[in-house]
Amino acid sequence: MNVFLQELRSQRRSTLIWSLSLAAFGSLYLLLFGAIRNDISAFEDVLKNFPPVAQAALGFVIGTLKTVSGFYAFAFTYIVLCGAIQAANLGVGAIGREIGGSTADFLLTKPRARWSILAQKALAVLVLLVATNVVLLAVTIPVAAAQGPDFDAGLFVLLSATMFFVQVIFASLGLLYGVAAKKVKSVVAVSLPGVFAFYIVGLLGAVVGEDAIRYFTPFKYFDIGYILKNAAYETGFCLVAVAVVVVAVGASFAVFAKKDVQAL
Amino acid sequence: MNVFWRELRANRKSLIWWCVGMVLMIYAGMAKYAAYATSGTSIADLMKQMPASLSAALGFAGLDVMKASGFYGMLYLYLLLMVAIHAALLGANILAKEERDHTSEFLMVKPASRSRIVTAKLAAAFVNVTVLNLVSLGLSFAVVEQYAAGENMTDEILLLMGAMFIVQLVFLFLGSAIAAVGKRPRSAASLATTVMLVTYVVSIVVDINKNLGFLRYLTPFKYFAAAPVLDRMGYEPVFVVLSALIIVASVVVTYLAYDRRDLKL
Repeated sequence: MNVFLQELRSQRRSTLIWSLSLAAFGSLYLLLFGAIRNDISAFEDVLKNFPPVAQAALGFVIGTLKTVSGFYAFAFTYIVLCGAIQAANLGVGAIGREIGGSTADFLLTKPRARWSILAQKALAVLVLLVATNVVLLAVTIPVAAAQGPDFDAGLFVLLSATMFFVQVIFASLGLLYGVAAKKVKSVVAVSLPGVFAFYIVGLLGAVVGEDAIRYFTPFKYFDIGYILKNAAYETGFCLVAVAVVVVAVGASFAVFAKKDVQAL
Repeated sequence: MNVFWRELRANRKSLIWWCVGMVLMIYAGMAKYAAYATSGTSIADLMKQMPASLSAALGFAGLDVMKASGFYGMLYLYLLLMVAIHAALLGANILAKEERDHTSEFLMVKPASRSRIVTAKLAAAFVNVTVLNLVSLGLSFAVVEQYAAGENMTDEILLLMGAMFIVQLVFLFLGSAIAAVGKRPRSAASLATTVMLVTYVVSIVVDINKNLGFLRYLTPFKYFAAAPVLDRMGYEPVFVVLSALIIVASVVVTYLAYDRRDLKL
């Protein structure tokens, strides 16, 4: 358990900062809901005078923005993006930091099997991600509930939970990179471009087709529009997400078991 | 000059990937516009009547997104974020990596003063940033023209990319200053990107809540936002001066701090 506890300790401060920043950003945004709600009802009257085509195009957006959860969903994309960066940092750093910082020599000479070290590291990352999400929810739910009586807590949690899933996917991919790369020199130099690459892939939908692209980026596995409409996730993409995590973590164990970790 | 060439070579591969990312981003963004523009003019009228708070929440505050230039302006914020990440990472890592990889002993015993080494490294970083900017500029011309529908956008693109270059320099030298001052070389890059991401979040907050407008002096992302730049077809002098001050101060700090730095060997 020592590796597990050590990893928790070393990432405690940064996780705390991440959680509080995400919670602060989410809450600040939610506090603006009161002001925008009045604007929206005024705009809805304007909308009625326009042809049905225009109403159809913007109607859904407006309808969504009218509820607290729908309004939150617009900022939530950014929160998920930040959360993904945090998760990728943790994942890439877990083993990558040891190998890159030449501390792997000391860690691997301890009487622990490699799989045990990796399992403890992965578990620690998971615990840190759970903690981040608990803080986020604990802060944003009361703030969102205070914004009006029509607050749908179940939908809000359903929406917020997608960050956790996206984080787990990025942490697994990061873990695999940290294990498979020869040497991770700088964790952020890997995690930031990596996460943004997937983010850009998500934007490529207009070029290669919105449906096809969804399989290639974790940011699109949980479609906010679908969740708001159906209060559920899409089963197919849940399976894709689980498959990605299982394959990435499994591959990490397989690679790390036989990895030639070079001493200084 | 050896350090300069060596740094250019070391960063070549990553620069190519960043250019590919920018190319994809611009191409994908403008392809989205094509889908958007065909949806008709009644939406354009509707947009005009949309309350400011609403259009800010949807991400196109103050831009006429039905015009190619307005849409490009919306895309520009993402481009800005990407080059800011590149510049901050590059600036911090180019100095910090020697200590991080335990190669500073080998570099420092060479018959070159520290300030000469810093000059060579910063020059190499400057070239990298410039190349990324020029690639974005060239591609913007090539791609945006296709969608412009007769709208002449040469000046707009030049203005926005010029602004992007200033923002790149701000983050590049902020990154190098952080690396020169910071105690732990391993955390220089994460510190630099943290500063950068915080200023980005501040810029989103400013967008959503107009009462916090005074915060825009704190975030380079707002110094040359697309809407005001395209509106007046120029930069606000305050922000040009402010950027110049930040750049000069960061460069001075980088040289002074690195010159007397207690290198971790």
